[in-house]
Amino acid sequence: MTGGGPALHGADAAAPVGDHAQAARTTRSRAPRLRTVLSLGRVEASRLARSPLVLAGLLAGGVMVWLTIRSPEPLWWNDGWRIGFGQLVLGMAVLAAAQLAAGRARRNAMADLYASFPATAGTRTLAHMAGLAGVVPASLLLMGAAAAAVQLRAAIGAPGVAVLAGGLLLVIAAGAAGIAIGTRFPHPLAGVLGALALLLSSGQSHLPWAAGLWLYPWASFSDQLGSLPGPLAGYPPAGAHALELAGLAVLAGIVALAVTASRARARGGLAVAGIAAVAVICLAGALQLRPIPTPDLNHLVSEVADPASVQHCTTASRVRYCLYPGFGSLLPSLEAPVSAVLAHVPAQPAQRLTVRQVVSISFPDAVLTHGHPNREVSRWDARVQRAPGNRGAAPASAIYLPVGSWPADGGQLADARFDLALSAADWAVRIPLQASGSPTSQVFLQCVPLGQAREAVAIWLAILATHPPAGELQAGLGAAGGFAEVRHTLVPTWNYPGTGYVTPPGGGPQDTAAGYLLASAMTSLPEQEISHVLAGAWGRWLNWHTTDAQLAAALGIRMPSASSTVTLPSGKRISPAPGPGNAPQNPLCTS
Amino acid sequence: MHQLTAAIRLTRRPRLFWLRALPLLARPITQTMPWAALTTGCLAGTGYLTVMAHIAGTSHSPLGHSAVRLAFLPAIAALAFVPRAPFRPLTHTAPVPAWVAPAGHIALAAPILAVTCWAQLRIVAHTIPPHTFGRPPAVYPLIAQLTAWCAVTVAAAACVDRSRYADLGGAIAAPASFGAIALAWYAPITARFLAVPPATPHGVTIAWYAIATAALALTYVAMRDQWHRYSRNLRPPGIQYPAPRRLS
Repeated sequence: MTGGGPALHGADAAAPVGDHAQAARTTRSRAPRLRTVLSLGRVEASRLARSPLVLAGLLAGGVMVWLTIRSPEPLWWNDGWRIGFGQLVLGMAVLAAAQLAAGRARRNAMADLYASFPATAGTRTLAHMAGLAGVVPASLLLMGAAAAAVQLRAAIGAPGVAVLAGGLLLVIAAGAAGIAIGTRFPHPLAGVLGALALLLSSGQSHLPWAAGLWLYPWASFSDQLGSLPGPLAGYPPAGAHALELAGLAVLAGIVALAVTASRARARGGLAVAGIAAVAVICLAGALQLRPIPTPDLNHLVSEVADPASVQHCTTASRVRYCLYPGFGSLLPSLEAPVSAVLAHVPAQPAQRLTVRQVVSISFPDAVLTHGHPNREVSRWDARVQRAPGNRGAAPASAIYLPVGSWPADGGQLADARFDLALSAADWAVRIPLQASGSPTSQVFLQCVPLGQAREAVAIWLAILATHPPAGELQAGLGAAGGFAEVRHTLVPTWNYPGTGYVTPPGGGPQDTAAGYLLASAMTSLPEQEISHVLAGAWGRWLNWHTTDAQLAAALGIRMPSASSTVTLPSGKRISPAPGPGNAPQNPLCTS
Repeated sequence: MHQLTAAIRLTRRPRLFWLRALPLLARPITQTMPWAALTTGCLAGTGYLTVMAHIAGTSHSPLGHSAVRLAFLPAIAALAFVPRAPFRPLTHTAPVPAWVAPAGHIALAAPILAVTCWAQLRIVAHTIPPHTFGRPPAVYPLIAQLTAWCAVTVAAAACVDRSRYADLGGAIAAPASFGAIALAWYAPITARFLAVPPATPHGVTIAWYAIATAALALTYVAMRDQWHRYSRNLRPPGIQYPAPRRLS
């Protein structure tokens, strides 16, 4: 109950309508109007903060952030931008909620009633703009929770304040756009369509003009941030983008006020302010379109093409670990599986193993190299193509770890550790890195250690070192494993589901189902017994002529047989036949 | 007393008497249909797809079914505003069931959505070069998916219409539907059955049609719900009213 007085402190008496309205307006001082705006703004902020749409958007934004940051390696220069995508989801909800609030009077056919209130339409619009303060806590909460989650995963690097602030500005700009839409189009569908337009504009590959990627409200998934070995200045241009978003928010507010303003003087002032906002947006756009400085890209190319020049190398258990600056925290999780494998190897190869980080990045990408001459980009690309991990003729005693591929925790980390252990074990038993084609070509077929004892030994060593769940190992058989054609014979293969975290030069061998089954059978025997058999004739077991059947006989176990049929998703079992005689075939791992 | 009972029995109408009133209802149902919202949604998505097809044509990168899914979202959003029964307390007193009008609106919206889907598929098909190697992906799982999305949206709208947010209607139902769709599409548990791959096209089609059937059943239940709901307690403090009774 207001007792017949104004419902809000500072609200004047109802303004007379008709010819007296102008006179009443002139008598109204600025101070009470400001108080009215603040009072109404407080109410609108409270309503916006409690809006189920905003709360649902906050939840959805949190889920989106988690989905985008949980898999890749936690790198602040990548995760900071991903947090912004969660803010985009929150911004969509805020846009819809703000549109509903701004269109409330007209939607409920109450425009005439509202016109009789002391607060003018412009005042109410200003109050709606002030009410956007109500979504700031939600945005800050999302930002804080996401940052805490990233930091708890031991992220590399430091958070970028400009990137995080850009997320907050995005939410405010979306809300301002919602108010602008709501003042003109009160139907709720307008807000939903506005939110969808915001989402579609921030999509991925369908966007035209790649060089202008950062001009979109929050472009996602079309960048290479997750593959960079460190932050790259101007990629993204966070400060300029935040300025653009601030300009968009102001422009949307001006549009909303212009729709409701009735006085010519006010419209003139708004027009001037609008021009200023457009100028700021254009300036921010121009700043974002500036090419990344050539020295920075030259440095990046050097980091990619010649990682040894910048990496810090550490030796442990006769293995060199070369990591980019800032990635030293990965060392313990890399050392553990490799050392565990080598601890069970009777004799290591003479050549020292190197575990090295590499960068997989595309330089012809216009987002990265726009504004630079094509000749320069081609030169960079040619250098990068010769980088370790890209060129075919790489040393056999290296394991490459692409930046951004090493997970932080959970089941994926266990998978990655097994992958690394298996690569180290392949090196230890001297399985060569033979393949037909190159990893970058269309036809790339790894060699197959068909019927070789050393394959089972390598898999056994990796299992012993990391103890992966038996179910996951078993999942690499059957339809997931597939077949490889070697010497016109189809060989059932085994693909561990967690492969792909490391890349041995040449891609590493293609393991067979028979090799895995023998290794699996070996795990049921006492470790000392197997070590004794292996150490007794280590050189023999490493010979590619020594068969897995001979190893099984030496261990006193029956050689398991791999099924030559495959079960289709429909449940039907088929026996695949070899392809035509001229089809490309996997080479046999010899030497 | 016997005379009164007999009189009531005589005036009691047969259960499906309102079927005879349908021809008379066609006109008001057509007039109250939210044509503007539905047309705007359908045209917005189709317009977006046309622009994307033009860009795809100039960059020689054909569009896929994902583009159709994205372009159909505005139509889905518009559909969320269709099943609306305003003045429900009043329409409850009418001899015709209250759900007839929203059901009629949905029936009117169905062909519009079908035409939109067809047009969008044609637009995407035009971006694929004529001599493309390999067969294009099957369309029937996509149609099943879009049908299920529509059904889920209608169910959400019908449920929201029976809630305290009835006045906002589609503004709540559309985000709720999008959330449900995103959850079904991206959650690993459901994606195994609803996304190709890992599921087969046949499996995906069956799964989406099953979801559509369940959603329509929920819509049926929500539309026939006659219980009055009020958004908040309007009683002034200190005044006691008798407890509300369920209207039968």
